Amino acid sequence: MVLTEEEQEMLDGKKGPGVQRAMELLVKLGRAFDAERMVKASYGHAPSYDFIPEDFWNFITEGAKPIMKVTTHPGFQPERWKEWGIAGPNIDEMIAEHRRKHERARQLGWLFTNTCAEYLLGIIPRKGEMVAMHGSCMQIATNSLYGAMVERAGILCGLASCITGRIPLMGLMIPENRHTHVLAMVEDLDVTNWSTAQYSCLGYYIGSQVKGKKNVAISGLPENLPFDFSRALVLPMPASGAVTLCHIIGTTPEALYLEAALGDNKPEQIIKVGRRQMKETWEKLNVYDNDKVEHVAFGCPHCTIDEIGLIAAKLEGKKMKASLLIGASVPVEALARVQGYADVIERAGGHFLSCCASVANPFARKDFSGDNQVKSVAVESARAAYYTAGVCGVNTFFGTRDQCIEAGLTGRWKGGEYED
Amino acid sequence: MKIKAHTVCEGVAEGEAVVYKGAFSFLGDIDPSTGKIVFPGHELEGTILADKIFVFASGKGSTGGSRIAWLLSRNGVAPRAIICLESEPVMACGVIAAGIPTVDKLERDPFEVIKVGDYVRVDASKGIVEVVARGNPKD
Repeated sequence: MVLTEEEQEMLDGKKGPGVQRAMELLVKLGRAFDAERMVKASYGHAPSYDFIPEDFWNFITEGAKPIMKVTTHPGFQPERWKEWGIAGPNIDEMIAEHRRKHERARQLGWLFTNTCAEYLLGIIPRKGEMVAMHGSCMQIATNSLYGAMVERAGILCGLASCITGRIPLMGLMIPENRHTHVLAMVEDLDVTNWSTAQYSCLGYYIGSQVKGKKNVAISGLPENLPFDFSRALVLPMPASGAVTLCHIIGTTPEALYLEAALGDNKPEQIIKVGRRQMKETWEKLNVYDNDKVEHVAFGCPHCTIDEIGLIAAKLEGKKMKASLLIGASVPVEALARVQGYADVIERAGGHFLSCCASVANPFARKDFSGDNQVKSVAVESARAAYYTAGVCGVNTFFGTRDQCIEAGLTGRWKGGEYED
Repeated sequence: MKIKAHTVCEGVAEGEAVVYKGAFSFLGDIDPSTGKIVFPGHELEGTILADKIFVFASGKGSTGGSRIAWLLSRNGVAPRAIICLESEPVMACGVIAAGIPTVDKLERDPFEVIKVGDYVRVDASKGIVEVVARGNPKD
């Protein structure tokens, strides 16, 4: 692997021990994937320090200085958990660790956007721009919906790129690797009345069928699919699989027609999706042994203002039996407040947090909430369903937004099997 | 029998094989404090990967998986080595940060050659996998 003089200095420790360790990690990763060289990132989207074990955080940031613009993925808000009375016994330790790490991130000059949907804040790379991007949901959205060049990267290597400003030139950073060999064909499905949940289920199934980190193209959906639906479709793919670029034919910028997505390739794998696959996937995403619903979580990925408006419309003048989390960035929450949506939702018992609403849902994680942990969660996102069942280990209900709200109001799950 | 492989993370280890023909996510599929597979309904639910040679098809799942690999290693419950068909960057990042010897792209299909319970030696630095002893003599 060829390094520039500056990169070699990083590797030799001349820019401090943290930068050296970060560069070592990236060089090893680059070698594993036969990268010829590093590229400079135009900016970075970093994992939250809250997800990095403190010893690793100190190890890799030691002596590091600001190197480029770096924004952040959602972290924890332990002070609010304590204020709301949902926290477990070790909350003061968590707050202290959070503050220690926050101070170092502040010294690194990070912008605390704290969102998994940064494009909603107007921070959007141009087509073809190379970004060091953390978070599989940000990676697939930025690649697929905006056409920027983002490689799948793990949290620790994503952090290393934000410390060094470098990314190994590999995978989806190389234009010819952005075409697809896998074609998913939607058949026998009437999408007229679909909401985000059906698109999410479809994406989850397709992601699970693709072997390894391959790109996929989806045909058979209406052209110019609305943004919220396109996003719901592509986001679960790196949870059920390792897909990091999905071309939606007729919608996404690199795939206005099928040939553009295929390039010179012939499809090697064809995935046909109909009612049977949708029904089976819908059923698999529901993991529960009784119908009691204690909690509803929206915002995996972080809610758009339109989604918050739809939730507010259903909750006007009502009170939830279950607790309700709305995962949204601070600026989108502020807009919801101006609009009057936030007041409606909070009066109904909802809570806004710019946190991860699935893997790190503070209501559902036993290690965060202790005895306050909710034992069941309803979600409308397939990605959230997978992580709520696997990471939080609680009863998980997957259905449409309306079914989740209904369940939150009554405290019971009535959502059934997949329907068009 | 020695099989050539491609190095993902250098190192040498040996142990008993656990074989899973599907894609694996460190985040969601496994408990980082025990090394046990916990995802409800997973084919290997309840299996402990600590000190095993873990053979699987490919990585999948969210980017946080690499952190779990590192935690498994720090907690002393990581697999001793990993063999997969083709690695992807999240899984690779995890094993590199955690220092778990890992190879992929074997010259022979590992699912044909390695069975559950076989004693396997992985020299990831040299890129060699060796089945030292059969777990079930009939195989």
